[in-house]
Amino acid sequence: MATPNLRKAPRPRRSPIMRRAFPYLLLAPAVIYLLAITLYPGVFAIYQSLFVVRFTSWTWTGLGNYQGILQDREFWAALWNTFVIGAIALSVQTFLALTLAYFAYRDPFIRGWRIVYLMPMLFMPSAVAFIWKLAFNDGRVISDILMRLGLIERNVDWLASIPLARMTLIVADVWQWTPFLFIIFVAALQGQDQEIEEAARLDGASWPKIFWNISLPMMRPVIVVAVTIRGIDITTMFANVFVMTQGTPGGATETMSYFIYRQGFRMFNFGYASAASVLMLILTIIIAQTVVKRAFRSGKN
Amino acid sequence: MAQVRKRRSDGRLLRYLILGTWALVCLLPILWFLSIGFRPRTEVITPQPIYWPTFSLDAWRLLTSDWPIALYLRNSVVAVAGSVVIDLILGIPAAYALSRYEFRGRDDIGFFILSTRMMAPAIVAVPIFFLFKEIGLLDSVWALMLIYAAINLSLVTWIIRSYMLDIPKELEDAARTDGASDLTILREIVIPICLPGIITAAVIAAIFAINEFLFTLLIASTSRAYTMSVALANFTGGSDGIIYNAIALVSFIAFVPILILVILIQKHLSRGLTMGAVKG
Amino acid sequence: MTTRLTGLSRRSFLRSGAAIGAAASLPGLAMPALAQSGLPDVQSVLDQITVDKYVREDYRKLYSMSNEPLWDPAKDWIRTVDWEKVRTELGGTTVRFAIGAADQESAAEGLKPFELLSGIKVELVPIPDDSIYDKAIAEFISGNASFDALQFFSAWLGDFAAPGFLAPLDEFAAKWNLPLDDFYDTYRLNYGYVNGQLVGIPFDCDIQMVHLRKSKMEQILGGPIDLVTSVPTYEELIRITAEANKLGGGVAGIGMLGARGFWSTYTWEHVAAQAGMMLFDDQWNPTLNTDAGMMGLETVLALSKNAIEGVSGAGWGENRAAWLGGQVAANISWQDSGTQAMRPDQSQIVGDFVTIYEPRIAGGVFAPPNIAGSTSVVTSTSQNKEGAFLMLAFLTTASIMAMNEANANGVAPGYKSVLGNERLRAVSQPMKVWAASLEHAWCSPRLPGMFEMEQALGNEINRAITGQITAKEALDNGQAAWKSIMEKNGFKGGSGPINYADVAPGLYVGAGKALPF
Repeated sequence: MATPNLRKAPRPRRSPIMRRAFPYLLLAPAVIYLLAITLYPGVFAIYQSLFVVRFTSWTWTGLGNYQGILQDREFWAALWNTFVIGAIALSVQTFLALTLAYFAYRDPFIRGWRIVYLMPMLFMPSAVAFIWKLAFNDGRVISDILMRLGLIERNVDWLASIPLARMTLIVADVWQWTPFLFIIFVAALQGQDQEIEEAARLDGASWPKIFWNISLPMMRPVIVVAVTIRGIDITTMFANVFVMTQGTPGGATETMSYFIYRQGFRMFNFGYASAASVLMLILTIIIAQTVVKRAFRSGKN
Repeated sequence: MAQVRKRRSDGRLLRYLILGTWALVCLLPILWFLSIGFRPRTEVITPQPIYWPTFSLDAWRLLTSDWPIALYLRNSVVAVAGSVVIDLILGIPAAYALSRYEFRGRDDIGFFILSTRMMAPAIVAVPIFFLFKEIGLLDSVWALMLIYAAINLSLVTWIIRSYMLDIPKELEDAARTDGASDLTILREIVIPICLPGIITAAVIAAIFAINEFLFTLLIASTSRAYTMSVALANFTGGSDGIIYNAIALVSFIAFVPILILVILIQKHLSRGLTMGAVKG
Repeated sequence: MTTRLTGLSRRSFLRSGAAIGAAASLPGLAMPALAQSGLPDVQSVLDQITVDKYVREDYRKLYSMSNEPLWDPAKDWIRTVDWEKVRTELGGTTVRFAIGAADQESAAEGLKPFELLSGIKVELVPIPDDSIYDKAIAEFISGNASFDALQFFSAWLGDFAAPGFLAPLDEFAAKWNLPLDDFYDTYRLNYGYVNGQLVGIPFDCDIQMVHLRKSKMEQILGGPIDLVTSVPTYEELIRITAEANKLGGGVAGIGMLGARGFWSTYTWEHVAAQAGMMLFDDQWNPTLNTDAGMMGLETVLALSKNAIEGVSGAGWGENRAAWLGGQVAANISWQDSGTQAMRPDQSQIVGDFVTIYEPRIAGGVFAPPNIAGSTSVVTSTSQNKEGAFLMLAFLTTASIMAMNEANANGVAPGYKSVLGNERLRAVSQPMKVWAASLEHAWCSPRLPGMFEMEQALGNEINRAITGQITAKEALDNGQAAWKSIMEKNGFKGGSGPINYADVAPGLYVGAGKALPF
């Protein structure tokens, strides 16, 4: 490939220090920007969490908010809910995405269909939440379909039981985000070395066996990265809860994000909300340092 | 041989069944929701769901007469486009540094950038709210722009980085021996070659930005800064209760442009999303 | 859901189609500069504030409404006040009115006649609907509120009044002859007076009632519904909603608000009040878990078994949609369930429902609950208190409120002269029962911190509705939460920022009165 025609004007010789500093300079704007947006809130949150804040009156309370939070049933409930809902949703969508990817990647027709599989992802999360709120609760469409199929006799009260209510949130999340994982997995599978597959086929191996023993293991780094990214996003689930359940029944679908929002913007306990945020932040950092970093490293390899 | 062929055709039936079912699962709720947008209010909530409603433009009329939908759309576009521009300006050099250079702390910095994605909106929501209130940026499109940029910078950087990794070193070396400075290389070689990747990253960032909900909810309070994702909430609180047909229509108004964008970059989308973890 | 606090100001105060009628602006009146000389003749402006101009055309046609007033002109403040005096004294001044952002445009429209009549200019200060509470408090605390007048959810009156953020209006009310007596006691006492001072003018005057679907309930009751005797007790309501729940066809027995937060609290308050529940004793100790309170919650729980699916997530919006869509055979909700359901453009059940007198509970009282509602105030830091007062008097005047009701936009009048008007009763189905009920209304006191308290209690009641805890636990937890919130707000040792003695008369205005039937 011919090199493009570049200015051949003489340029000043760059000092070795400048040479060394150059990559840092390239990175500096981005890093500074991110630091500003993440560091400031972090510090502010920590500071505010030491006060009982009632609009503009800040009363020092030291670790009072933290004491309150750690004894707050609703806080632990929110933590647990986030974990349960997130883990189930993540597992389901990963499994679905892998299964679909397995069936899809060898098929030439899929390319044209791809856009259909992508569509759920392109809706606004709040819109998706309304779709499923209407389908499950207000419009009772799902119940109606199930009744027509003869599977149930009366409308189902999705918000009355904890598993069902959580399920509606999970369905909304899985419906919207399986395409995200699907498209990554398909690309990964299609990018794999054809020769190994061919060799296995010639040996008489069936497609499922090939997938299980060869493709899947080779995909591992991609799976790890994709699932990690999606997993991170799931822990911040807010829109679905806000629109569909608001935490009902009895707080069993209240995620951490919603808990913090409610404490801050409905009960106006800003110090309390900040304390919850700080705890959440610490938790996130711990997870980041252990799980994600390891996943990230192995993903890179 | 016959045995193998048979197995393959069985496999094909199963394959189409599963893929077809999932395609329906994706498509049917969307089509149904579309029908909600084009029916009269009284046919949305009924004792038994109506699957063949009467056609009505009530929602459209409501949207265009009572609400500044064009304004919301404009805010969405401005905030998102602005945030993408910021992300590209900050992210391209960063990606370049992370992909082409060896230096101390490279991995750690790279990890830091990736980890900002983990900043749960709820964590930073309260401080950001107070911060913007202090500097008077509350309820402004600028605030949204800055936040969206921050949220998506990591994504943009990493996607572009993965594309840059693929540029053969020889190209750059040749240019350098010709006397080009690093910046020139970046500008005249790397960026043009990575253009598909840059566009992909921009579109993905746009998708995530337009979807942002929590921050927008807190920061935007009037039509000055309302975006499409939060505008939905307008149709749920007034004396008319929840206006589903308007909500559906708003959802599609936001959906269609994104759909078009994605169709255009379809080819590159999967590559971008895998972020180069996969060759090819 | 009705998640955002727009749900609280669920009445959009001056929503288009509300005070003005769908045919927006007033014909024939140019918008002059507000120099005294440029003001039009008072009577000509007043002549524009009539049924023909304000009530929606389709409703006027539907009910063959003439242009006769739906109110008593003698009690309609805008027609009795001396506008020339207003113009002389306050013409040329400005009033800054904080308005929910969603209502900005229609508010501007609605206030034009006021500007013309008074010569006072109104500047609108938009506040995001879901931040009215905190934004207002922030402004008040700053000591220099950017607005002179505000309309808001009446539950917040305590938070705003107790710290002295509101200007007393007694003087103005006397000077300009505001027809305070025309308000039902429950609204005047609870939405207007704090610690003996008049600080608010009631605006949206709410009451919760019980509504029944004729087609479903008449077959169960075996005949036409009598407003008094068909469902005399909550026990009977439980029985018939259980039957109705079996009817099928997508119709559930009853609709209620059982969502987390204050929605559940309201439902409980509604029923428990009939059992004789009072929220506090005279030492400001919360008395939620008394027998009456328990009875109320147990009744609610029993009803919830016959309730529509999703009741535990039903806020006002969901409940309204279900009722108007015909998904329930009975409804416990505000009076507008009885009016909006009459309008064909909103409702599937036109003509198929009726609003009955509040069912009773053995050992209890007849206490239809005054719940939610909104009031209007003037800030204590206002530079134009009198002008602001006049503007609020205009907005809450009997004729405009009557026409809001005719438009079924959810903003309800609280005047005896209006609710007694025969022509208005002809277009508002529940009005007769509603008016009679108000003389016996129960109401919760407007305390600082009440907003938080209602949410905390509601979360517990929601847990009981979903079966996670027992009724006793819910009320015990709620009571504990109330105690701690009240302490935070300055209630200690039986006294606090609000005097019990001042509040007491408004808590149950039906005490000792004979039943209206």
